[in-house]
Amino acid sequence: MALDRQLEILAVCGVGMGSSLMLKMTAEDALRSLGVDARVENTDVSTARGMAPDVVIGQGMHTGEIAGLAPVVITISDFLDKEGLEARLRERLAEQGWLS
Amino acid sequence: MTVTVAADGVAAAGWREAVREAASALVGAGAAGEGYPDACVRVVEENGPYIVLAKGLALVHARPEEGGLAVRVGVTRLAAPVEFGHPDNDPVDLLLSFCTPDPGVHVGTLAALARALSAGLADRLRAAPDREGLARALKEALPDG
Repeated sequence: MALDRQLEILAVCGVGMGSSLMLKMTAEDALRSLGVDARVENTDVSTARGMAPDVVIGQGMHTGEIAGLAPVVITISDFLDKEGLEARLRERLAEQGWLS
Repeated sequence: MTVTVAADGVAAAGWREAVREAASALVGAGAAGEGYPDACVRVVEENGPYIVLAKGLALVHARPEEGGLAVRVGVTRLAAPVEFGHPDNDPVDLLLSFCTPDPGVHVGTLAALARALSAGLADRLRAAPDREGLARALKEALPDG
């Protein structure tokens, strides 16, 4: 059963404005391909601690610090790999029943 | 709109020097203040080598308040690659650097850069024969470049 609202997704990095913005663009492309209705925001790790998204995406050095922040935490190494992120999102969102 | 700077064959003994060189290009172009290169190094010291976004490619940047004066993007190609200590993407031979005076005004520029990188910009930069080729490839990737 799909979520009856827009999915809240957070792309994180250290500074919260350059790398994470690139990751947000990659995630938006991947979500569009998956046909998922989602809002993607980007921020730094410290700010992320005060947020409650459905999905967090970032490099392992950051997602390790914020594990537990969201039901789904996706660790990636390539910020620009749309196909790789799309595959991970498909798998993890399906587990949650968020992909129709 | 987005002015670019390019440097080729830059010698760097390690990642700190590489980051400083890449950020200094922005200072030299008048787009960032004197403290920006050190701020870019501190980003990695404090947060880890996450700025290595993809294989061999780093995006050197810091917060606008660390000295961003204008939106600008630079590319620096190293004479020899350096290790950042990244678990997957080392060693780094290409550094993109960017600065912005404001957290909002650079969004279009970075979005264009992200799209261009997904479409193979890093390979085009690596194939560029010289500094002019690097500058041209980067310019083509950015809006109104």
